[in-house]
Amino acid sequence: MRKMLMFSVALMLVASAFGQAKKPTIMVVPSDRYCITKGYSTKINNQGTETELPDYKKALQNDAELRMAISKMSGIMSDREFPLKDLEQELRNIANESAESAMLTGSGGSSVTESPIDVLKRTAKADIIMDLDFSVVKQGPKNSIMYTLNGLDAYTSKNIASSTGVGSPSTSASVELLIEEAVLSHMDEFCGRLQAHFDDMFNNGREVKIMVKVFDGSDVNLSDEYDYNGETDELSIFIEDWMADNTVNGRFSLSDATENFQRYEQVRIPMFYERNGRQRAMDTRTFVNNLKKFLAEAPFNLESKVYMRGLGEAWVIIGEK
Amino acid sequence: MKRLIKALALSAMSMMLVCVTVNAQSRNKVRKLEYNSQYNYEVATLAVGVDGTKLVKVWGYGKTAEDAVRHAKELGVACAIFRGFPAGSNGSAAPTPAIVTDANAATTHEAYFVKFFEPGGKYLQYVNLSTDGVTTDRVKVNKKTYKVGVELSIAYDELRKEMEREGIARKLNSGF
Repeated sequence: MRKMLMFSVALMLVASAFGQAKKPTIMVVPSDRYCITKGYSTKINNQGTETELPDYKKALQNDAELRMAISKMSGIMSDREFPLKDLEQELRNIANESAESAMLTGSGGSSVTESPIDVLKRTAKADIIMDLDFSVVKQGPKNSIMYTLNGLDAYTSKNIASSTGVGSPSTSASVELLIEEAVLSHMDEFCGRLQAHFDDMFNNGREVKIMVKVFDGSDVNLSDEYDYNGETDELSIFIEDWMADNTVNGRFSLSDATENFQRYEQVRIPMFYERNGRQRAMDTRTFVNNLKKFLAEAPFNLESKVYMRGLGEAWVIIGEK
Repeated sequence: MKRLIKALALSAMSMMLVCVTVNAQSRNKVRKLEYNSQYNYEVATLAVGVDGTKLVKVWGYGKTAEDAVRHAKELGVACAIFRGFPAGSNGSAAPTPAIVTDANAATTHEAYFVKFFEPGGKYLQYVNLSTDGVTTDRVKVNKKTYKVGVELSIAYDELRKEMEREGIARKLNSGF
């Protein structure tokens, strides 16, 4: 009993010392293949090329099997204390937000400021997408379900968890029952892989993507030379050095670079940082803000703007605020 | 000459007998080690169980058939905690991961598991259904040992929650 009490106190101390990391949001989204083969799609003309895009609203309003699968998955994830973002509700919220934003005026008659980027950003998004696909496979009188569930990191585009398989054929069970069985069968495997991804995140830092760009009106570029800490080198090299010093175990890869941009991938940022003597959760914006501060200091004295693309991606654009 | 041949034949026969006995002894030794091994699980997934449960067939060993059934129940729960279940044949079920991901959990939390798996212990709470009344899959391996296969329904979700409550398994949302 005493041991248990001491263990609980130790756990509480650890929890209070480290705080909570930023929790990624997860949303189930039907795959493009599912939507297009079932006819839940719209065709758009993209600069002369006809493109077929999934229509999620149509899919959710008309497909009872899809709704059931999503609902079952949501139930399981809630049971694991990781509630999912609901795609249907999110689409509804976006529509309402647009309408309210257009109608809202202040007492002086001013309307809400919205840049084109603000409007563009108003889309249904999550940090992890559970890409769901299933279809009924018929073998004579027997039906079976081919089921694929992929967990995709929205920023690194990596498949972080997946589960796939074809269920056993049945002549008597209804399609709905077979879908439910497929969800039940695969969710533990999927959650196991998701857990392994989170464990890796806590051990080696959160994997994010960072872009360094330059405004076209700026008179600096990344190949400009500076003297810093007794060394003369290009700005791009000093930014790379900063990355090496501030990532977990110096883990990042510079996948592409010119004098106008640098694309950093597989950047492992720490989960926590200290502020006012307390541990706080780190996200890409906070991490990139530190880079902004570094660039603002001498000898660089550069102004820059931080543009956030969600929990796992941010851009630093040098030249203007 | 005849005597010599007889003596040689006798010694050859006795040597063969010794070899057979030694082999049988080492076979029994290996078998005993396998029965007692913490890594030896003879488990097959039968089908997808109802919400939160796993339907599996587990083979256990014991001096009597009843002991073997008891052993199988214990192995079924231990397998869910430490190793997970393999996929069912013909796509009947996807594989199930182990509840505990820390490879040293059994030794780190030894005191808990000794109490959990003691005869009549808490592990029985997580074996919901079994065919121990109809143990048709029964083999007498040797004079002293029965091998019995039973169909078990393991309350996997409840078991996972118990391990999470005890701090042995990590929750999916822990740290966030």
